[in-house]
Amino acid sequence: MFKKLLIANRGEIAVRIIRTCREMGIATVALYTLADRDSLHVRLADEAMLLHSPQRYGDADEVLAVAKQLGADAIHPGYGFLAEEADFAERCAQEGITFVGPSAAVTRSLRNKVQAMDTVKQAGYSVPVYVELEEGKLDESYLLERAEELGYPLVVKSAIGGRGRGARVVMKAARLMETVEAARREAKLIYGDDHMYLERSIAPSHYVVVQVLADADGNMVHLGEREGSLLRHNQKLIEESPAPSLTNEQRQELWATALDIAHLFRFQNAGSVEFLVDGTGNFHFTELKGRIQIEHAVSEMVSDVDIVREQIRIAAGEALGRTQADIRLNGWAMQCRINAEDPWNDYLPSPGLITRFRLPQGPDVRIDTYGYVGCEIPQRYDPLLANLIVKGDSRESCVQRMRRALQEFRIVGVQTNLPLHMQILHDEAFAAGKYDTRFLNNFRFETICRDETVRRDLAAMVAVAYALRGHNGKPQVPERIQTGWHRSARRLPV
Amino acid sequence: VENNTMNKLMVTIDDKAFEIEVSPQRGSAGEYVVTLDGQSLHVYVPDYATPEAVDWMIVDNRPYELILGPDLRSVQLEGLRHTIQVRDKEIRSVRPASGDGRLKAPIPGLIARINVELEQAVEAGQTVVVLEAMKMENEIRAPKSGIVRQIHVKPGQTVILSEALLEIE
Repeated sequence: MFKKLLIANRGEIAVRIIRTCREMGIATVALYTLADRDSLHVRLADEAMLLHSPQRYGDADEVLAVAKQLGADAIHPGYGFLAEEADFAERCAQEGITFVGPSAAVTRSLRNKVQAMDTVKQAGYSVPVYVELEEGKLDESYLLERAEELGYPLVVKSAIGGRGRGARVVMKAARLMETVEAARREAKLIYGDDHMYLERSIAPSHYVVVQVLADADGNMVHLGEREGSLLRHNQKLIEESPAPSLTNEQRQELWATALDIAHLFRFQNAGSVEFLVDGTGNFHFTELKGRIQIEHAVSEMVSDVDIVREQIRIAAGEALGRTQADIRLNGWAMQCRINAEDPWNDYLPSPGLITRFRLPQGPDVRIDTYGYVGCEIPQRYDPLLANLIVKGDSRESCVQRMRRALQEFRIVGVQTNLPLHMQILHDEAFAAGKYDTRFLNNFRFETICRDETVRRDLAAMVAVAYALRGHNGKPQVPERIQTGWHRSARRLPV
Repeated sequence: VENNTMNKLMVTIDDKAFEIEVSPQRGSAGEYVVTLDGQSLHVYVPDYATPEAVDWMIVDNRPYELILGPDLRSVQLEGLRHTIQVRDKEIRSVRPASGDGRLKAPIPGLIARINVELEQAVEAGQTVVVLEAMKMENEIRAPKSGIVRQIHVKPGQTVILSEALLEIE
């Protein structure tokens, strides 16, 4: 087993990986940037190294240099940054450092989504209807012709990014050209590659993934499926396992298909086989992600398997040591992604200093976060602050537990999407498990207090707060001065 | 210091206005008696010693966690955000004695600007001093028309509540 593992990541996933390493007796090296110096992962690690590169966590040279300098024998990439980078996996191998993830060859065969779908389609499994765009061919007549083969609405996707960031829906031909160009620019920026394809839109739909584990000898198990259909701007907000949209028959078929597809790629380590489920219950393979996912804890809760531990064990060459029959899927788990963003201000990121941070506790509640009181939430990175995961013996009890956990969770100092999660969890359709990818398009964020007692109590509390802040019980800013203010005269002190 | 003053306030929560009287409960720090719509409520503020950090209160037997905006213009409660406005009715009714040309600091703060000079003629209501307090510039107006006979303060100077600023004759 490894002696020292370097985590080439930040935030809640770095904390998550450190925890398992501690339990396995593996020393950890954390990386951080100046903006991330407050983050919990820096405090928890055995060693921590400041990154100087402008590419930060994504700089392969600097990450490898630190690993060699500190004598790390393994690197865990987390998600994003250097995960799914075949070249980086190859360079690790050359340096005698184990990359925790699939081999460079497997990663290459998965990285291009069009090629991966081709492979799966040829093996006889369903994939969405798509057409590839020839690289460099940008003229409008060519694009229109390709789009015509599919029909509208269609989705413009990056061959590397898939349905994640950068994917855009086109409803009619008039918008095709500008959308492809915008998507191409964005893909170049995010993925460093502007190879695009067009896919026939499947909407409404459900996003369902199967978590698989595979060792070097080809032993493979699945840990059930997750549903991540609750999206805002292509980003998942809530995930759960099992998927409420599937029947038991569909579920069995999905699991078997996912394992077949993973075998097709000779997949090893931990991965998610992703599907789109259409309105008639048919599922279509979209991609296989060969890395840990943000929502992996949902599968851990129902399967009682530590996926990060399995990733590390498999990377170290150990056998899975369990068969499908050893995996028992129990109960229902759900995760809410708590983002530092302002639901009353168009979900703009809300960086700042955390002044209060009370985590929910009690049975079957788990939090993965890098935050704590006194931690500065940086502006530079994505707004994910915490994953809140709960488990119940049924979906109903899981939803009830999530409601009370959200209510207990208290974050002051930065604005978060906790109020949005609370309202979603109280939505009737969501509570009944009836939602698809359109759910948030039609969701009305409630802003009016309908309880008269609460409103009266609130008025009383505001009055007391006002009196309390005043000078000797007298307010500091009397009415007659307020009326003398000119709005234009208000400014912050220099 | 007598800490038994009653505040008569008009509190507006979103669009609904409430007339409220607040009195500290004698001998019990952090406890208040609030009269609202003819109903009497008991409010306890556990963190009364640090008013800016208050984040929960108990109204009768109902505990609430809230996030008060730093300037009391908004409040978050149970996943909702409300705009709020507080007007002080008692102070409004106590107008400065007209005819008195002595101008005092209505709030403690920093003198940002003095817009008049000695022996200058001013009109009632004209801005004579700008006082910086609570992250805002507050325009202090002449209580009556006349000639500025004395200026007691300079820009940059900190003043306490009711400190003499200038005199108009």
